[in-house]
Amino acid sequence: MALLQISEPGQSTEPHQHKLAAGIDLGTTNSLIATVRSGKAETLPDTHSKHTLPSVVHYMGEESVEVGYKAKEQQAIEPGNVISSIKRLMGRGLADMGKIKEFSANQLVESESGMPGVVLENGIEKNPVEVSSDILRTLANRAEETLGGELGGVVITVPAYFDEAQRQATKDAAQLAGLKVLRLLNEPTAAAVAYGLDTGSEGIHAIYDLGGGTFDISILRLQKGVFEVLATGGDSALGGDDFDRAIGQYLVEQAGVESDDRRAYQLAMIKARDIKEALTDVDTVDVNFLDWDGKITRQQVEDIIAPIVDKTLLSCRRTLKDAGVKVDEVDKVVMVGGSTRVPLVREKVEKHFKVPPLTDIDPDKVVAIGAAIQANVLIGNKSDDEMLLLDVIPLSLGVETMGGLAEKIIPRNTPIPIAKAQEFTTFKDGQTAMAIHVVQGERELVEDCRSLARFELRGIPPMVAGAARIKVTYQVDADGLLQVTAEETTSGVKADITVKPSYGLSDEQITTMLESSFSHADEDIQARMLREQKVEAARVIEAVSAALNENGKELLSEEEFAAVQSSLEQLNQVSQGDDIEAIENAIEVVEKNTNEFASRRMDASIAKALVGHEVDEL
Amino acid sequence: MASAQQNYFELFGLEPNFFVDQKDLSDKLRRLLHSAHPDRHASGGSQQQMLAMQKTTRLNDAFAVLKHPVKRAQYLLQVVKGIDTTKDHTVDDPEFLMQQLELREELHNITGDKDATALMDFADKIEQMAEVQEAELGELFKQDAWDIDALKVAIYKLQFLYKTLHDIELAEDKILD
Repeated sequence: MALLQISEPGQSTEPHQHKLAAGIDLGTTNSLIATVRSGKAETLPDTHSKHTLPSVVHYMGEESVEVGYKAKEQQAIEPGNVISSIKRLMGRGLADMGKIKEFSANQLVESESGMPGVVLENGIEKNPVEVSSDILRTLANRAEETLGGELGGVVITVPAYFDEAQRQATKDAAQLAGLKVLRLLNEPTAAAVAYGLDTGSEGIHAIYDLGGGTFDISILRLQKGVFEVLATGGDSALGGDDFDRAIGQYLVEQAGVESDDRRAYQLAMIKARDIKEALTDVDTVDVNFLDWDGKITRQQVEDIIAPIVDKTLLSCRRTLKDAGVKVDEVDKVVMVGGSTRVPLVREKVEKHFKVPPLTDIDPDKVVAIGAAIQANVLIGNKSDDEMLLLDVIPLSLGVETMGGLAEKIIPRNTPIPIAKAQEFTTFKDGQTAMAIHVVQGERELVEDCRSLARFELRGIPPMVAGAARIKVTYQVDADGLLQVTAEETTSGVKADITVKPSYGLSDEQITTMLESSFSHADEDIQARMLREQKVEAARVIEAVSAALNENGKELLSEEEFAAVQSSLEQLNQVSQGDDIEAIENAIEVVEKNTNEFASRRMDASIAKALVGHEVDEL
Repeated sequence: MASAQQNYFELFGLEPNFFVDQKDLSDKLRRLLHSAHPDRHASGGSQQQMLAMQKTTRLNDAFAVLKHPVKRAQYLLQVVKGIDTTKDHTVDDPEFLMQQLELREELHNITGDKDATALMDFADKIEQMAEVQEAELGELFKQDAWDIDALKVAIYKLQFLYKTLHDIELAEDKILD
């Protein structure tokens, strides 16, 4: 817990040890891991030189798991014990299952997490967090073996349009895999970072990201190493798979298949994919599907999928408007995601943005690489790029008001971190409590939004209706984590909650899962904590001493200076001993005594930034 | 010493003024965030990160206010004269009230007809009106002695037009979906 360590680039006060960090693209179909080595970000291959890891998991027994290509091979042999496309279930409730087409209803059961569990033929039941965690662990192992050390932290990418529940589930999966999440990064933003740093491109960029199952559009301004997200939008249930489904539907109709013939539908999907791919090179293909023989032209297929592509363009329009950017102000359009290989998508995107879309970047790796660059920054490895990413919240955050209406407190695309307050009042005489229901989404009715949390403010002094002043404050930090506080301002009664979405796992559930998993070696937790506290104490002492030397005399009164110094000496003494709690307390005292000092130091450094000469060449 | 007491204008090194160069404001925000943003303090401890978050939150907040003509005007009156115009919504101007009613009705009809082209035209019209109204407000702020009542009315009128623009966006979402 250091005081502000203002170190000019290249002359840091303590020798910096390079810490290991990685970026992970946890995809619906494939996943990748990348890291920055000797200043260069690159994806890491497995021992067979393959960079991608299919997001497929094969459960042979409770403790016997295969992930990736081997699991994919098993899909043909025993599909009942293999799970793929698990990303679609992340953070979803059973009630959402209507939207999810990959899993049949009888495969899914209610699980403790609130998310559906997947039941396999061999009786094993896995929830989406566990399955994702197995994928993450496999990637992390690959990185740790390649880099020869433990990962200090990871940045995991998620679709920009993921809601809080889906994000939380992703974080839970990482925690279960024993990974420290530095940040969840939106996939299109990650792509922009990789692309922008690689090419030095500046100006307004639209990132059009059409994957198998999700569509994201982000508008960013790139300027001198600052990546400013202006707006982001999309559809978390729209992707290239919908092309296959639409084409498959056509086949099924031609062949006159009964609507409950699941197997025929599956076959049609596979056939549809082949047709789609074949038609990128030729204009007509001969098709044999069950009893139907015929020809399908590219034009026919384009007519079938055009409405889906148009739907993505509608999102683009709205997101541009949110960004306050006119279509002709967009300098570059970057295409990401496998489904942008479809010619009609490229055509329509070009027509919409009036610039030829850039397709020369490797759409498979770019997201992981961007994540690795951000991970390197967030773990504290100074880079020459001095890049800074300014993000927004993708979906509006609101509160339930009378009549089941959702009132927005922080509208979508507001830059974070941000805090907003709204005042409410009681509607009954003598009302002493108020329920706060935190919701996320754009719709007017609460029932159409995602419910994030509920809590109560109690102990409001009885007053006539309308007299109480209840201030509800939403604070979103740079990680996108929401903290809600409710306060009756005339009496000072307070309640707060750190929002953990209703569909997430509780801390106990995670702990239980962690304990039962074998990925964690048994380590003496006490010893580890003591070691960590000692390291922390040493860090605090060093940082505060350096700060005092630098401008303590200048910014502190003699009294304040003495108070800081004495708490520092106290900490120094205590940290020689073995009392974890005492060290913790002593650190807290130092922090309390230096809070004002740290604030003044930061203000001084910010003020310098405005003068402009001290900061880079901005 | 810089402190939380600095008003939004001071944070950006500006005199309290209605006229704010938007490009200069954006450039300054970027510069300030380069120094204040929590990600720039990633190697610092939790205290430092917390401070960075608070300062960045305030900068983001200040930027949102200074960027928006209505919020900026309201904030300016608050800072310079201590007058809160965010809650007082009475305007004694029958002509304007009539116009307000007519505009509301026009929007209502367009939304009912689901006429996207008419909606765009309507949006253009309101945007132009907002531009004119903002210029008028600017004139009032240019005067040596501010006419507070006139300012209040001008701010309210501009606020109504921005509210209408917001409603147009909602209507557009409805028509397009």
